Amino acid sequence: MYKYVARRLMMSIPVLILSSLIVFGLMRVMPGDALTALMGESGNVSAKELQKLRKDLGLDLPYYKQYLIWVWQMVSLNPGDSIFTNEPISVALKKSIPVTLELAVLAMILGLVIAIPVGVISATRQDKPADYVGRIAAISGLSIPEFWLATLVITFAAIWFRWIPPLGYASFWDSPWTNVQQFLLPAAILGYRLSSATMRMTRSTLLEVLREDYVRTAWAKGLEGRVIVYKHALKNALIPVITLVGGQFGTLLAGTVVVEWIFALPGMGRLTVEAILYRDYPIVQTNVMLVAITLVTLNLLVDLTYAWLDPRIRYQ
Amino acid sequence: MAIAAAPAHFDEPVAVQLSRGQALWVVMKRKPLGMASAALLLVLVFTAIFANVLAPYDPLLAQPEIRLAPPSWAHPFGTDDIGRDVLSRVIYGSRISLWVGLLAVGIGTFVGTIIGLVSGYWEGRLDLVLQRVVDAVMTIPGLILALAIVSVLRPNTTNAMLAIAVVIIPGNARIVRGAVLAAKQNRFVEAAQAIGCRDYRIIAIHILPNVTAPILIIASIWFGNAILIEAALSFLGVGTQPPTPSWGLMLSSTGRAFMEQAPWLAIFPGLAISLAVFGFNLFGDTLRDAWDPRLRGNR
Repeated sequence: MYKYVARRLMMSIPVLILSSLIVFGLMRVMPGDALTALMGESGNVSAKELQKLRKDLGLDLPYYKQYLIWVWQMVSLNPGDSIFTNEPISVALKKSIPVTLELAVLAMILGLVIAIPVGVISATRQDKPADYVGRIAAISGLSIPEFWLATLVITFAAIWFRWIPPLGYASFWDSPWTNVQQFLLPAAILGYRLSSATMRMTRSTLLEVLREDYVRTAWAKGLEGRVIVYKHALKNALIPVITLVGGQFGTLLAGTVVVEWIFALPGMGRLTVEAILYRDYPIVQTNVMLVAITLVTLNLLVDLTYAWLDPRIRYQ
Repeated sequence: MAIAAAPAHFDEPVAVQLSRGQALWVVMKRKPLGMASAALLLVLVFTAIFANVLAPYDPLLAQPEIRLAPPSWAHPFGTDDIGRDVLSRVIYGSRISLWVGLLAVGIGTFVGTIIGLVSGYWEGRLDLVLQRVVDAVMTIPGLILALAIVSVLRPNTTNAMLAIAVVIIPGNARIVRGAVLAAKQNRFVEAAQAIGCRDYRIIAIHILPNVTAPILIIASIWFGNAILIEAALSFLGVGTQPPTPSWGLMLSSTGRAFMEQAPWLAIFPGLAISLAVFGFNLFGDTLRDAWDPRLRGNR
């Protein structure tokens, strides 16, 4: 097991180096840089001053030096400052990570709470009306654009219930009630989308597992249907579901972009998109790398969970 | 050619062999949802092709005197903030969505398939390198990657399409590679290698036909996703540019601004996106049921 973990860790290093190169490269070939964007806002600045600013920010160094400096900053856990706001990136992250994390965790919980029971019902009543309703709801969840659903929900909540979620962001510890009001709708919208994929996966793997010999044996032993489905079959059926959910959590950390945008939540997704639009290289690079590292770690955890859930993998 | 035409399934039980088309037809007859998805897609394609005949007005014609008019007989979907007919714009919008989907998925699938074939057939060091690159691209969230690429290339429809293609490639390459590894286990591949067939011939004649089912299934589902990403990019202002009628753009520009006064501006384009993507997702499921029971539940 230790050997396996070590090998997996070794494999993830080249992947992370490659993704850092891709992000770094993309940011450097983007037309215009943060300074032009910055100057556009503050009016005219002489070419000389611009030159000086570039030098101060290290943007005049050769690319490989810029890259190495950035890698060193990442490794030493000091990602530098935003070009645009001059604020240290660590401060910006401290503000935005809790927002996205809260949104992601809430959405995951809501998603799982909907997905697993619906998936089980759909699988145990295959091709019955309940199955059709569940599946149509699931495919709709994958098909309806989040930004549309969000816009509709906000508008109709305002028209019908005269209720608008309080704008901006209040930390849960400062004002729990405002926080819940702010996160409920976006988390529900994201959760619905997540649940669609999870529900479909639960349904199809459970259908496969229910046809296996050991399930038939369980029936033959005269066990209760509920015990067979939930205790014997579901546990095995959940293995691929865990892979999916692990991946979802990673993408959620950055995939909340549009929902954060609409609900004016100052999270990671919003920070990253704004940074791309303003060419704020350091922020984009740091955020994308954070997500990449999280994804790689999650994949590793998922594989270890596999081994924990399925003893056959452990003994290989 | 004689060798290639020889029966390929030695070790499979002799059953009634259905062609792909027949298998699809059988499943569609049994599953009403499958038939519905095919009908939905046909309507979509028909709308896009004959947009100029079907649209009652010019999608760019502004009639300020009837701005923000609610749905009526003359304008079933109402009019927008400068008096353009929303129905006509939604009809023309289908062209953008289908075009983006077609090219993005086409390019993404083509490149992904080649990488997957090369990687899966030769394995070894090249495979190791290619798969690490695929892993690396997959660590960057799709929408962020697409957004960054569009920013590099300048925001417009063509570049949004290219960016979506890049997002599609890695996942596709991985699936094709898996399918190739499985197809290579077949005895006819070994036989072809034994009689000295060239690699590219084995790939083209023996491997490729065995991996087209997963490729097409994934392509159908990606088609829907491509439409969603294009809409999201346009929504964020870096996809299709005004005044071209794109569903995502209609939603973000006028749809949200006038949501309370004129909800039809947002409802209809959003509905169009949802229905189109729904059609592709459902059709992908139907293909999966018909062609590859093992792939069921990949998503």
